[in-house]
Amino acid sequence: MKTVDAKGKLCPLPLIMTKKALNEIADNETLEILIDNETSMKNVTRFLADHGMNAHVEKKGNVFQLLVNKTGVVPESAAVGEYCEVENPIKSNLVIAFQRNRLGEGAEELGNILIKAFVNTLPEVTLKPKTLIFLNSGIFLALKDSLVLDSLKKMEENGVEVLVCGTCLDYYKKKEDLGVGKISNMYDILERLTKANSVVYP
Amino acid sequence: MNYIILIFQSTHRTLLAEKVLLGHGIKFDIIPTPKEITSDCGMAIRINPSLTNKGMVISILNDSKIDFNLYEKWMQ
Repeated sequence: MKTVDAKGKLCPLPLIMTKKALNEIADNETLEILIDNETSMKNVTRFLADHGMNAHVEKKGNVFQLLVNKTGVVPESAAVGEYCEVENPIKSNLVIAFQRNRLGEGAEELGNILIKAFVNTLPEVTLKPKTLIFLNSGIFLALKDSLVLDSLKKMEENGVEVLVCGTCLDYYKKKEDLGVGKISNMYDILERLTKANSVVYP
Repeated sequence: MNYIILIFQSTHRTLLAEKVLLGHGIKFDIIPTPKEITSDCGMAIRINPSLTNKGMVISILNDSKIDFNLYEKWMQ
């Protein structure tokens, strides 16, 4: 059994070492990985799970022992860096895409009040989004007369990127009324959406 | 800062209060009811006392016969 000793190593090293070792062993062979911090253990476990392998984790003193059968394939191109970032709220790659000015399907007045509560709670959530995107009637949330403008400004001041669809502002003739964020286009918006670890559509 | 939190008997009453207060040009935020007040999934109105006169809000709601409970909560 091959062993990866990643004790004392910080992310992304345990991930890189695990990836390398997996490529050196045969299918169904067992790999042992030793890690001495919980964050790295979780990152490696998640990395393995995303590539179709379930690790058996056991804590032995201060060391986590992960045992995994090579039942999946880790392509050379697999990006390990992304698995480090989720634990760090500042660098999270969560995107929230507002496609309309309401929350969910159903009664309009209920959707209107729910979206306000949603946006006003955003500054308090633990995992800060990296980018907020406003599309179609979602742009109304980012206008000067928006009732959630203060919360959005607060997010922007705290380093959250706010992108507003320029075509949509133009369509609704609201370009002059933008209250927060920067006018953006489909290229930038698609870049953010496709590079996100997860996207929330309220 | 200590914010004023107003809780109503139902979502419909919250919607009504929102409409009435907006009609009077009052500045406030809609927030989910803070968990320490009630575990219901309800909506509440948050008022920043340095921007909005608390007494005025109370009298508008009383005039409109909208019952509410008032709390103060420290928020960042």
